Amino acid sequence: MRRTMMFALMAVFAVPGIALAADAAAGGGEGWIKPFAAIAAGIGFGLAAGLCGLGQGRAAGSAVDAMARQPGNTNRIQTAMILGLAFIESLVLFVFVIAVILLFVKS
Amino acid sequence: MEIIDHPPILHFSGIPDHVTYTWIAMLIIIAVSFFATRKLELVPRGAQNFMELVLDQFHQILDEVIGAGGRRYLPLIGTLGLFILVSNLMGLVPGLVAPTANLNTTAACALIVFFTYHVIGVRKQGALNYLKHFAGPVPGPLKPLMFVIEIISHLARPLSLSLRLFGNMVGGHILIAIFFFMMGFDGLLGWALTGSLGGLLIGAPGALVSAVFVVGFLMPLKILVAFLQAFIFCMLTMIYITGALEEAEHEAQHAPAGHH
Repeated sequence: MRRTMMFALMAVFAVPGIALAADAAAGGGEGWIKPFAAIAAGIGFGLAAGLCGLGQGRAAGSAVDAMARQPGNTNRIQTAMILGLAFIESLVLFVFVIAVILLFVKS
Repeated sequence: MEIIDHPPILHFSGIPDHVTYTWIAMLIIIAVSFFATRKLELVPRGAQNFMELVLDQFHQILDEVIGAGGRRYLPLIGTLGLFILVSNLMGLVPGLVAPTANLNTTAACALIVFFTYHVIGVRKQGALNYLKHFAGPVPGPLKPLMFVIEIISHLARPLSLSLRLFGNMVGGHILIAIFFFMMGFDGLLGWALTGSLGGLLIGAPGALVSAVFVVGFLMPLKILVAFLQAFIFCMLTMIYITGALEEAEHEAQHAPAGHH
């Protein structure tokens, strides 16, 4: 069941690419890269953002726990938390840069 | 990136916009510093008061992170922090360009940090000892492997420093550009202005809601991000410098005992 759904999903994703590829093939050139680039950028950035949300949620939750237990150390915990969030976020930003390159840079 | 290409107020042909606006950011910082230190008073007022507050913050963070002797690096950290903060905030003003929304500017800052902390480490410890500590506290046969891994991780530092700042700025700009595009004359507002029923029922409230969302939520978020990214850049610079210094102390502690 799951495999069937996956194939259906892949088919749905692939159809516009193939359809546009047919158009582009008529005109010649590499126009088929563009739709696949858009799909890749969307899926990749969605995955990155979602997993980053999980990671940052864990980090922020632990930090709030720590602050509740040790109210005296709030400042240092906050600094460490912000640094950790920045590191997690930077991975998403790598994906963002790749997505922007995929979408906007002419191949 | 045609979606965020808007004509800035100042544009000299032949000079890239981020260079022009880097000079403007420099002029802003120089002007504020000049007016703050023109008539120094014992009881500060106005600009002097403000800049003393900023300086106190920098001193506090430097003492906290690097510890004793941290204030030596105030010129580097303070300049980087103020420049990045002013550049980030310039991106929020319509018609101005944020110099940090260009990879060249952020890569320049990150490369300065990269070379500076290596130079600091080498000066503190000598080139050979500094290189030796890239191998880390692992047994002999593993040292070459560790060395390669450390080199890669050190090379990744300027990459992540520059891409983090650049990605945050450009991401915010694209987000706001998309919202303005969506609610502008080509989008919801245009739909409402056609006078059709759907336009009046959905387009007009939609345009209002997105305008309120942008002004009430995205703009404050971008201000927060501007401060946060400047803070993170300085913080990471200080941590890298601390790392380069700490290796020296580590060596001094362990060399007489003959562990390595």
